Amino acid sequence: MSYKAVVADDEEELRKYLKSMLSEIWPELIICGEARNGKEALDLVESKRPQIAFLDIRMPGLSGMEVAKRIAGLCRIVFVTAFDQYAIEAFEREAVDYLLKPVSRERLLQTVQRLKNQLEASTDPPARLAEVVEQVLSRLPGKGGADFLRWIRTQHKDSIRLIPVEEVDYFKAEDKYTLVITKEGESLIRKSIKELTQELDPGQFWQIHRGMIVNVCKIDKVSRSLTGRGMLKLKERPEVLTVSRSYLHLFKEM
Amino acid sequence: MIMEQPIPIHIKDHINPKHVLMDFIYTILISTLIAAFLTYTGITTKSFIMNLIVSQSFGLSFCSIITFLLWIFNPEKTASLIFIVVIGIASGTLIGLQVGSFVLRQIFSITLGQAEKSLFQVIILAITFGMTATYFFYSRSRLEVSKELIQEERIKRLSSEKEALEANLRLLQAQIEPHFLFNTLSNVLSLIDSNPARGKSMLVDLIHYLRTSLSRTFPDRITLDQELGMIKAYLNIQKIRMGERLRFKIELPDEIRKHPFPPMLLQPLVENALKHGLEPKMEGGEIMVKAMEEDNLIRVEVIDTGLGFGSFEKTGVGLGNVRERIKLLYGEKGRFIVEETNTGGVRAIIEVPKQ
Repeated sequence: MSYKAVVADDEEELRKYLKSMLSEIWPELIICGEARNGKEALDLVESKRPQIAFLDIRMPGLSGMEVAKRIAGLCRIVFVTAFDQYAIEAFEREAVDYLLKPVSRERLLQTVQRLKNQLEASTDPPARLAEVVEQVLSRLPGKGGADFLRWIRTQHKDSIRLIPVEEVDYFKAEDKYTLVITKEGESLIRKSIKELTQELDPGQFWQIHRGMIVNVCKIDKVSRSLTGRGMLKLKERPEVLTVSRSYLHLFKEM
Repeated sequence: MIMEQPIPIHIKDHINPKHVLMDFIYTILISTLIAAFLTYTGITTKSFIMNLIVSQSFGLSFCSIITFLLWIFNPEKTASLIFIVVIGIASGTLIGLQVGSFVLRQIFSITLGQAEKSLFQVIILAITFGMTATYFFYSRSRLEVSKELIQEERIKRLSSEKEALEANLRLLQAQIEPHFLFNTLSNVLSLIDSNPARGKSMLVDLIHYLRTSLSRTFPDRITLDQELGMIKAYLNIQKIRMGERLRFKIELPDEIRKHPFPPMLLQPLVENALKHGLEPKMEGGEIMVKAMEEDNLIRVEVIDTGLGFGSFEKTGVGLGNVRERIKLLYGEKGRFIVEETNTGGVRAIIEVPKQ
């Protein structure tokens, strides 16, 4: 019997290249569709029901990994990637099919041979793939672990400025709003101090009293006032900030 | 080691309990020496104890009045410093005279300056010694300040050297993205068969890009023309990869073509616009790189119509690096601003002083 396959890659030239190599190595294979992004790949697999999907990992919309997660039971998947070190390690370990770009003839021959064997032995695709994909996705950089606020949007004249949080000296509550103070000046944002304490990296931003959060990297000196409160001197700002007694324990080691 | 040019003295920093205590101890020592000197050279006919009382009362009143005045007025210019010293010595003399004669009257029932001549002599002596002692204190604190300054200067220099080195290292590491390299090579490989002319021009652009980015290990200045030439090669490659999904424009007025510009400063911005803005956007979009001249600065903008950054999005080391390098190269005179455009894309702006 002849098999059907789809090829998904956002780069036209690379789809063409893979197709021409496949037609040479496996002339009976029918390429029943090409996808330019993850969404198209998903639709194609669902409508054309191919036995094989060649999925580029980095695609706009849905990534190849995300597409694979959704179609894992429907067909056999061969990942195609230029350089995704972590995913490649997992594929090696779990014997998942993958191709490295630029795709070499020898490697493609091997993959095709393997696919043929698998397809002839049993028509059911392995279910284990979904697990592997899940595992890779959860450990991709930027995905797993806590995500902290990295950019503050502030209105500046008629444009919206993005301030990286590392630049902020401190945040100060101002009625319902919050003042963001940087070396260059201050601006008002809608987020409250309470929201900020939940979104900012607690290792870098410390609350020093009810209405203030300070960037630890911008602290120059900490001293104790006569009344027992902490006084923070900043590197880039002239003002001295006061640490209320209930937050003073944060500075005990300093 | 006293420096040639005048050092700005921040008196307020200098006045702390430790320094004041030291000043008073020195004053007492100097006054004692003066009393001994006066007694044994016979300039005055009084006993050592009496000379000691008079010279201590002058010394201590000079010291306390000058310290007090310095603390109150915190002079920063030499002229106001001299003015304070003159006022201090004049009022110190008056007060010292009162205190000294009061103490002498209490202990020895002697009135100071029974004769006009001896009173005049005491005042002259007091002023002379007062001036000398003040000069001593002045040069001592100046020496300390200059020592501190030299130390600070050294620390500053060392740390900025270290920062520059680190930035260079990161620059080296961040240069060529493997994804970009392998994808480009795959394209070239495919084009060799399907469209050799296009494949050739892509390879030429890749060589241009690699040559410029690999040879810039150390931040020598290049021209805007060269830097934007490299950006163009990079975008040409991306254009072949992304096809219709990428449109780009580069604007560089002729007048600033030869203006010096640090290498590899724009590249991370363009790379960022592609990676975070346009590549993940299904319909793609446009990148515009504009260099312009404005008063005393050169302004380069990289504008994209991509997806923009989410508030929680990491943008890698790229942008942080750019910020640091601008700070290192230009200090307060250079600026790096990231804005959101009204289409939701990103506008990154670099401003450097004109040379």
